[in-house]
Amino acid sequence: MMEVTRRGFLKLSGLSAAVIASGLGFNLEAKAAQGRVLKLAGTTKIPSICHFCSGGCGLLLHIKDGKLIHLDGNPDNPINEGTLCPKAASLAQVAYSPDRPKNPLYRAPGSDKFVDITWEEAYDRIAKKIKEVRDKTWVSTEEIINATTGAKETVTVNRAEGICMIGSAEVDNEESYLLSKLARLIGTPFHEHQARI
Amino acid sequence: MARKMVFIDTSLCTGCKACSVACKAWNDLPAEKTKRIVSYQTQADFTPTTWTYVQFRENYKNEKMQFNMIKLQCFHCADPACMKACSSDAIYKTETGYTLIDQDKCIGCGYCTKNCPWEVPKTDSKINKTSKCTGCIDRVEAGMKPACVQTCQPGALQFGDYDEMMAVAQARLAELKLSNHKANLYGDQFMGSTTYLYLLEDTPYSYGLHPNPVSPISLTIWKDLVHPLGGIAIGASAVAIAGGVVANFVMGNYAKRAKKIAESHNEGGK
Amino acid sequence: MSPSFGRGAMTNSWQDMQNSECFLIAGSNCAECHPIAMKWVNRARAKGAKVIVVDPRFTRTASQADIFAQIRPGTDIAYLGAMINYYIENKLYDEYYVKNFTNALYKISKDFAFNDGLFSGFDPETKKYDYSSWAYQLDAENKPIKASSLDDPDCVFQKLKTHFSRYTFEVASKITGIPQEKIKLIADTFAAAKPGNIFYALGMTQHTTAVQGIRCYAIIQLLLGNVGKAGGGIQALRGEPNVQGSTDMANLNANLPGYIPYPTNQEKTLHDFAMKNGSVQHKPLVALLKAWFGKNATAENEYGYQWLPKNNPSNMPIQPQFFNKMAEGQFKLLLNWGSNSTVSIPDRKLVARGLSALEMLVVADVFLTETAQFWREPGLNPAEIPTEVIFLPAAFVYEKAGSMTNSSRLIQWKEAAIPPLNGVHPDLDMLDHIFKKVRALYAGSNDPKDEPILKANWDYGDHEADPLKVLQELGGYNDVTGKPIASIGEYLAAPVGTVSTGCWIYTGVTPEGQNLADRRGNADPTGLGLNKDYAFAWPGNIRVLYNRASCDAYGQPVDPRRKLIWWDPAQNLWVGNDGPDVADKTKGPDTPEGKQAFRMNPEGVGRLFAATYKSGTLATPPESIAAVPIRGAGMTVDGPMPEFYEPIESPTPNLLHPNVQNNPLAKIVSTDFGNPDEYPYVLTTYGVVEHFCAGAITRNIPWLNEIAPEPYAEISRNLAHKIGVKEGDEVEVSSARGKLVVRALVTDRIQTLKINGKDQETIGMPWSWGFASLSPGPSTNNVTMNACDPGAGTPEYKCCLVNIRRA
Repeated sequence: MMEVTRRGFLKLSGLSAAVIASGLGFNLEAKAAQGRVLKLAGTTKIPSICHFCSGGCGLLLHIKDGKLIHLDGNPDNPINEGTLCPKAASLAQVAYSPDRPKNPLYRAPGSDKFVDITWEEAYDRIAKKIKEVRDKTWVSTEEIINATTGAKETVTVNRAEGICMIGSAEVDNEESYLLSKLARLIGTPFHEHQARI
Repeated sequence: MARKMVFIDTSLCTGCKACSVACKAWNDLPAEKTKRIVSYQTQADFTPTTWTYVQFRENYKNEKMQFNMIKLQCFHCADPACMKACSSDAIYKTETGYTLIDQDKCIGCGYCTKNCPWEVPKTDSKINKTSKCTGCIDRVEAGMKPACVQTCQPGALQFGDYDEMMAVAQARLAELKLSNHKANLYGDQFMGSTTYLYLLEDTPYSYGLHPNPVSPISLTIWKDLVHPLGGIAIGASAVAIAGGVVANFVMGNYAKRAKKIAESHNEGGK
Repeated sequence: MSPSFGRGAMTNSWQDMQNSECFLIAGSNCAECHPIAMKWVNRARAKGAKVIVVDPRFTRTASQADIFAQIRPGTDIAYLGAMINYYIENKLYDEYYVKNFTNALYKISKDFAFNDGLFSGFDPETKKYDYSSWAYQLDAENKPIKASSLDDPDCVFQKLKTHFSRYTFEVASKITGIPQEKIKLIADTFAAAKPGNIFYALGMTQHTTAVQGIRCYAIIQLLLGNVGKAGGGIQALRGEPNVQGSTDMANLNANLPGYIPYPTNQEKTLHDFAMKNGSVQHKPLVALLKAWFGKNATAENEYGYQWLPKNNPSNMPIQPQFFNKMAEGQFKLLLNWGSNSTVSIPDRKLVARGLSALEMLVVADVFLTETAQFWREPGLNPAEIPTEVIFLPAAFVYEKAGSMTNSSRLIQWKEAAIPPLNGVHPDLDMLDHIFKKVRALYAGSNDPKDEPILKANWDYGDHEADPLKVLQELGGYNDVTGKPIASIGEYLAAPVGTVSTGCWIYTGVTPEGQNLADRRGNADPTGLGLNKDYAFAWPGNIRVLYNRASCDAYGQPVDPRRKLIWWDPAQNLWVGNDGPDVADKTKGPDTPEGKQAFRMNPEGVGRLFAATYKSGTLATPPESIAAVPIRGAGMTVDGPMPEFYEPIESPTPNLLHPNVQNNPLAKIVSTDFGNPDEYPYVLTTYGVVEHFCAGAITRNIPWLNEIAPEPYAEISRNLAHKIGVKEGDEVEVSSARGKLVVRALVTDRIQTLKINGKDQETIGMPWSWGFASLSPGPSTNNVTMNACDPGAGTPEYKCCLVNIRRA
């Protein structure tokens, strides 16, 4: 649970003064003069994109000393013009969630728990397994009936029959592309993802 | 800075609750454990850490569903009962029209809650502080929209100078009236007019809102008549006695009454 | 949409919705699942636009509707067919548009027929169609023969008229439960206010008749002349942040990036592939192979074509079928990226069965999903599950740089805003590390099978992979100049084998020294919401697809308030506020190329009838395949025109053809089915605004759990009364496949329907919960059914039969 810090910084004085709008529509300097410290004071604003539906709404992350101070809609993104749905508006809670695993986890056959492993160990195990399954389930050729001629033929198919991959609509284009490329390079055409579901 | 208004056009609200989440995100308020109450509503009332929430009402009549969704928060009355009731002078008005609680002065006595027609302020009994929607005064005075207004995607929330927003509200009312004679503005006719003004598609009753909220008469006597004299003419002990008497007034059941009205309506509607 | 318009993408954009006069929102609950839509819908409403919502429930979207109709799940084609029939019978169509921009006048083969629920060419053995009779009559040059009038009995228009004549308002009403007068009101309202816009999402696609439902939309919009216009079109509101991008990148078994058909074992050589798919697909495949194998891809070695694994068409499982292939023992290793199948797959007991049969499961995600912990599900014994599981914690969206492509094909770039929490890795790094490790394990191998790994072009940086390098690979390079490709025009003009592109449709996104996906110019001088200088939309930064159809015979905009493009005779050029979607910008409106509004279709027109046809005009083929017709039409496997079939589990016989109850081509995966005597109620499942899909992220966000803490079953007051349940009581919902207990949400937003004279109840349940996370809850996919559309492969989540009782 997040600590209630509101009362700490919002010491309401009741004073007010004219505020000059800046590029983002507010003036941080004017704040200091009033005794109310705007939590965005001194933050750097970095735009990003929402991770939920396919709207592509712009997020704006307010960062100070490498830490996320606040997340809201990017007013300069023409799709959402600063607005956000509840899911997007909640995304600051992912940044420092204590529920996010800190390192790769391994569950042994038959075990009832995960144990921590290093990244190096995780990559090693995965790579070795890919090689092992690829080598033992490799189909280099298969016999087909040519649909045009009706003749039996042997064709090169180069498939790792035992490996399948579920790619993702939740990752960036570059990642999605490497998923596709990796799958086909190691020899699996069995590559699908949640676009169908 | 001129007086401000948040105009809440309930006819455009889709009940997405982004306003509630954005409020928590801006104000660093923790989530609370909830259960679904009725329809899609999960937050039952204001709490020290829930300053705005969406209420859902389903009215099905003549084969037509009227799905009334309404964002609730402090109205920021121009003439706030809570301010009159406050025992520690913690509640004050800004020239922008906001009603605020100075947390340094607040002792969490709860008089404000009991006298607010909507029981908006809520006291955290562990720290004896009462809190409620601040209207995002820190954002507003920095020239930004309140967090709830900024996030609203269907455009149900608008923010601006009071007069300008009032014109928008009137125009929208006229437009809606063409097809819905029940449409009405809620907030301009009571409590000195409120900073958060609603356009409702049905009677206030059907949203569980009191049709004509007023400051309890006891408060008016106390704050406007007795109290100004009190400091000058009445001795300390007399003040104490008067204070005790008035406290009973102040702790009166106005808010309870308002709530009952709303509840009885709900039962009748089902 | 691909078989209708040539591309499978949403036609317009979010911002463009403000230009509409009427919305038909049917199969989308956009106020909940795509809330940004409501910003622009409400902007159009402020200018007077009307909103029609058709849904099994009165949703939060319906709260904004002028007209709402409650429909029985899975019966959309019935009322949409009635709308098509009504438009044709009452001449409410746009005759100029229909004659010039659709295949209405094209003559259909005399062999084509439709009888008692089946089109010509059906093979009851294989349950597949031979499409050869769904063809045009062709002239000596292989071009379709056009009729002189819409009254020609052979023409597409007359075929359409005959086919849909069975769809009266009366029949439609009996099937759907929507009163006849309301269907007429919807039809009249939508035809009267142009441009009209149609939204759909999973409500339309999660059926065994998914593609044909969308085909109805395409036919309606083509008849009314609403496609290619600002404020018009069909908006396929896609479900995930980058599902457009991930399908562009071919995370599907039937494609390679850029929608290149995936080579099968029938295409033994690159030449065979070109002969089958035409030079239009040959060129991008060569460009892709060059991107993948770099200098090792040469004309002599077929650019590495033999290194690609080839599909076996008789064993091409789609994702919902993967788990059966695991249980059967084919798959030993699953690499699972950001997908929570344990919650999301229908009839989900199949998932645990499959995963338990694997040797290893690898899951990469931000939070520990139910899939990664499938062996921990209550009721399973971990000791009996031999699967090794490796979980890789992934960086979140704002912790890494990269691009995502939104529903309207807009490629938006973002930089990392904060470093990954706890030093977790972006998915890009994981994939980079894994590939390099695998390559190292094969180092020195002379086995030909290892060549694709050893000869691959894979260089995205030494330590951390650089996403910009990957985007540049997508946008591609001109191998003659050695520079990044500047525009899609440069790609199209280049001879085969001289360009390399990771995804040819993205060409132009990274000209030399630039990243157009990172553009921030948000000016909107036209007020039409085109925002041309903001990021980059594929193809070629076009914001409204098929915009040639917004112009008349002289190439001038038909709607002076919504000008997209026009022909400028002074410059001899198509110009405009949007990028012109024309085959050649220099070919005037009176030339064959300049007339084409749907240039990705081989006919160049929109397809009311999805005929089998191959032709083309844009060839730059190498000599060896010069004679090959170069462009094939997108096909609908289950019929050239939509037909209504009952859902696989349905409470009633098919009124149109009792002998063909369901889609005869549906892919059935589940093994257990219920009948209406035991399971009398129709269940429909959906997402809610507060959670996202399988909830892997959102059920770990406390603020969202506060506003939606638990799943529920929405039932009508009548049903609640019948089973003796009050609001909030626990109920058990069961199907032939499983059951779960949730609390009832008793509501007037669902009413008892009258279906073919009988009362019918609908139950609605959100599906985003699973046994793990901060907010666990029972999974609705215990009861849903795994039966898929034959074309799209989408399972029928939207309707199955259930029973309900007080728990």
